[in-house]
Formats: sequence, structure tokens, C-alpha cells
Amino acid sequence: MSAEELRIVLFTVEMAALATALILVPGVAAAFLLARYRGPGKGALDTALSLPLVLPPTVVGFFLLELLGRNRPVGGWLAERGIEIVFTWKAVVLATAVMAFPLLVRSARTAFEEVDPRLVGLARTLGAGPVAAFFRVALPLAWRGVLAGVVLAFSRALGEFGATILVAGNIPGRTQTLALAIFHDVQIGRDDRAVGLAAVTVGLAFVALWTTEWIVRRRVRRDEQ
Amino acid sequence: MTTPLVEIDLSLDLAAFELRVKTQLASGVTAVMGPSGAGKTSLLEAIAGLRRRTRGRLAIGGEALLDQARGIALPPERRRVGYVPQDAGLFPHLSVLDNVRFGARADATAVEAAIDTLEIRPLVGRVPRSLSGGERQRVALARALATRPRLLLLDEPLAALDPGLRERILPWLLRVRDAWALPCLYVTHNVGEALAVASHLVVLQDGRVEAEGEPRSLLSAPAVVGEAEAGIENLLPGRVVAHDTAGGITRVRTNTGSDVSITLAVDRPVGAAVTLAVRSEDVLVCAALVEGLSARNVYPARVAALERTGPDVVVRGVLENGGGELLARVTPAAVAALDLAPERKVWLAMKSHSIRIV
Repeated sequence: MSAEELRIVLFTVEMAALATALILVPGVAAAFLLARYRGPGKGALDTALSLPLVLPPTVVGFFLLELLGRNRPVGGWLAERGIEIVFTWKAVVLATAVMAFPLLVRSARTAFEEVDPRLVGLARTLGAGPVAAFFRVALPLAWRGVLAGVVLAFSRALGEFGATILVAGNIPGRTQTLALAIFHDVQIGRDDRAVGLAAVTVGLAFVALWTTEWIVRRRVRRDEQ
Repeated sequence: MTTPLVEIDLSLDLAAFELRVKTQLASGVTAVMGPSGAGKTSLLEAIAGLRRRTRGRLAIGGEALLDQARGIALPPERRRVGYVPQDAGLFPHLSVLDNVRFGARADATAVEAAIDTLEIRPLVGRVPRSLSGGERQRVALARALATRPRLLLLDEPLAALDPGLRERILPWLLRVRDAWALPCLYVTHNVGEALAVASHLVVLQDGRVEAEGEPRSLLSAPAVVGEAEAGIENLLPGRVVAHDTAGGITRVRTNTGSDVSITLAVDRPVGAAVTLAVRSEDVLVCAALVEGLSARNVYPARVAALERTGPDVVVRGVLENGGGELLARVTPAAVAALDLAPERKVWLAMKSHSIRIV
């Protein structure tokens, strides 16, 4: 692998890690609240949060562009303060984070829904406040689903293409991730490098998923002993 | 009842009706009985602070945990109310020891005392999954006690256990009752349990207090207990007179002077006071004296009253020679076939096997 290719791989992993870190707390919190919430508008809220899963990524990217472009309200406000997002690495993080968010939420929410809510209530009667009850009972009981959600989100972020190319462009050395580089290589007929990068992408995703499986299996074995 | 420690005046909208309970608890155990869906568990959850829409007032020792009028509503973690749900509700990811000391308020002394009271020290390193039903209940009870609660709520702690195990858990409950001197609300379906542990009884029906008072007198009133779904029980206090090991029976003389044969109970010494319980549906009503009946206990009696209870009729029979009363639950068809009416002479029969010591 050339130095250039290695740089693309490291950049991609770094962007995916940042995106996952960005959505970790809000994603897990949203998952827990959605699992507990029974009030009006639950269905609409669930659906809205899952939309990025089914929308074409380019639509999500387009919305982000409309929001963050320099002559748009939010983007303009940020630009006045010297913060550029569109066509920078920050746009890569943001686009992949938005696309990965519903995967984390869905997986973690299912895990929280399987936690008996009475156990959380019991923790409260034993003196734990709502936050302590979450960290001492709900999260430890749902950790497998939460971890699976984090890995799915990370893997999704590694391979994000459609939203990223709209908001971040495909600028070698600045915003070009693996998926974007492969697209670029194929377009200009550099298929040999595309094959190599594709192989690396497959390898990364495989390692991420396999590591999770391994952690979960090891933990389950330990629990059973 | 001594000075009320716990004042309850709560209401809560449930799916089918409004739960509305007003009562006072002294120290000691108050049993809560009533049909499934009467609101018993909801009442416990409301007291524990787990039902946010609960209205009214709740105070322990004069301190309000909930007082809508004054805008007080303590969250569960500040109520110091110990709650043991029906299935024990142990945290599956924690060891027995970590379960017991889960409570943020739990200090080491209370944890140790709770472990000792329930004798669960041999279990502390185990995980809940590996415990038997009875062990789980003991651990859950210890976990609640370790937080030094001011009120203990027990939701059918013995319901999930088989009858043999129940008798082995009951002593722990009595020990907690006596050693920790806590007011305690005890939900149960079982008349024997209520009699064994409770000094006060509240009967719930459709979310309302249908009746309350001293358990023994309340539980022999058919109208109350019929609705409590406990099965109308005949309760016969008496003393053991003799054991017939070869015949497999123990003879008990009731306080009203009737002799009752029950299955051999050598663990009760001669002269020991016992209370016998017979479900009303296990008492046979005979229009004439039947010869050669296997039932060991047959008494001539006079029908004092017929009371309609749900689909059935309860026959209140007064035994001859001042032998006391027996309640027999029969179908309306049997009333017609036997031509049962007040003042009619009948024979009441009970199989030894249908009589239990409570």
C-alpha cells in the first residue's frame, strides 16, 4: 500500500471514529428515551429518527448542504464566526454521523426495550436516582445491543458515500475517504488501485464486526461461569 | 391497632377503574387481599413512588412522601420504602452480594444484618440465575431491608413457590416482621399466609377498600372472602387431642367442641393449639346420613342461611350441640336437588385430606 493509500485509510478510520464518538451520547440517550416513551407522537418520532435509513443518502446530504452552506442561515451564522463546515473534514464527520445515527439508535433501542422496566423502578426504590438507575441497571443489561449499535454505526460511517460527497465533496487529501477514493479511481479508470482500496474497506468492516462478536461471546461465556 | 405509622389516602386512574385507597397502617403486617386485577400491585407501586400519576397523600411517621395539596411528591429514591415484587426482581447482572448492597443508602451494618436475618451468606457469591425461587425471595427481601426502609411492601412473596417451599419461607418473613419491627404491606391470595403473618387485613375490590379489620374475624365472613377470591375458608381453632399413627390421622378438638380428624401431623404435639382451614367447596352437604362414607368427619347440622356468592350458594350450617358453624359452597342446582332451605336438617362432611393446619 502506498503512503497515499495508507493516508486515505487512516483518514477514513479517523472520520468514522469521530462520527461515532459524536453520536454516542445523544444516540444512546435517544434510544433509551424512545424505549421508555409511551406518550403521543411516539410513532412519528420513531419514524423521523429512522428516515435516514431509507432516504437516498444524497437527499440527506442535500438537506445538510441547504442547512450549512455559507449563504444559508446556520452555515452563514457559523461562517461569521470563522467556522467552515462544507467541503472540510468536519462535513465528512457530520454527514457520516447523521447517516449512522439511526443504526445506533435502532439497535440500542431494541436492547433497552428488552430490559424489564420494573428493574429500573426497583433500582429507584433502592435509592438510585434516574441517572444512577440508568448506568447501574439499564445500560449494563442492554450493553450488548448498545455495543452492536456502536459497531454498526462505525461500519456504516466507514462506508458512507452519498451524503458525504454532497456536503464534503471529493477532495483528495482533504475530504477523500475510502468510498470516495474508490469512486474517483473507477471514474478515471484506475481500477487496480480501486481493487486494493475496496479490499481494505472489506477488511476494516470485517474486523469491526468480528471484534464485536468476539467481545460479546467472551463476555457471555464469562457470565455463564 | 397501635398508633398509625403510615397514613394512606391515594387515588390513581387505572385502565378499568380508579384505585382509591384510604387506610392507616400500624407497625406489623397488614395483609392486602382481593381478586386479580383489584389493584393490589398498583397500590404497592403507587406507595413506592413508581406511579407518577398518583394523587392524594401518603405519610410515614408524620412525614409526607406525597401530599398533593402541599405540592410534595418524593421520587422513589427518597421515599425509603422497600419493595419486593412477586418475582423478586433481582438484578441479573449482579451477584447476590451486589444485589443486596445495591441500595445507595445501604450501609455495611445494614447489609450484614440483612444477610444474617435471611441467612443468605452462603449465597453471596452466586448470580441470581442460579438461585431457587425461595432463595431469590430471601435475597430480594434482604436487598430491601439493607436500605433500612421505613415501610416494606411485599407482593405475593410466596406465590411463585410450591406449597412445600412456602412453609419454609414463611419463618423468614416472620423473623423479618419481628426483628425489624417495620410496618409492612403484604399482598397475598392465600388465607393461611394472611392469618400466619398479618395483624390487620385490607380487602380490595375494584380499587376500593371493601373491608378491613382483624384478619381472623374478617376471613370468616363469606361475603368478604368470597369477593377476595381467597375461597371461603372455614377456620377452626382447636387443640391436638391424639395421634393415630396406624390409622394415619390426628384428632383435633375444636374450641366449639367438635372432633375433627385430619391427616397425621405428628409435628404438632398433643395439646398444641392449631387452626384448621377447610375450603368451603370441600365441605359436602348431605340431605340424609350416608352410611359407609370415606369422609372421616360427618356432623349433623341445621341450615342457618343460604347466601348467594357469585355463581354459587354458600350454605351456613350450624352444627348440633353448639359445635360451631361450617360454610359449604354448593351450586344452585344442588340447592334445588337437596331442597335446601333455612332450618333444614343436613349432614356436613369433610375429608381429612381437605383439612389443612394454617
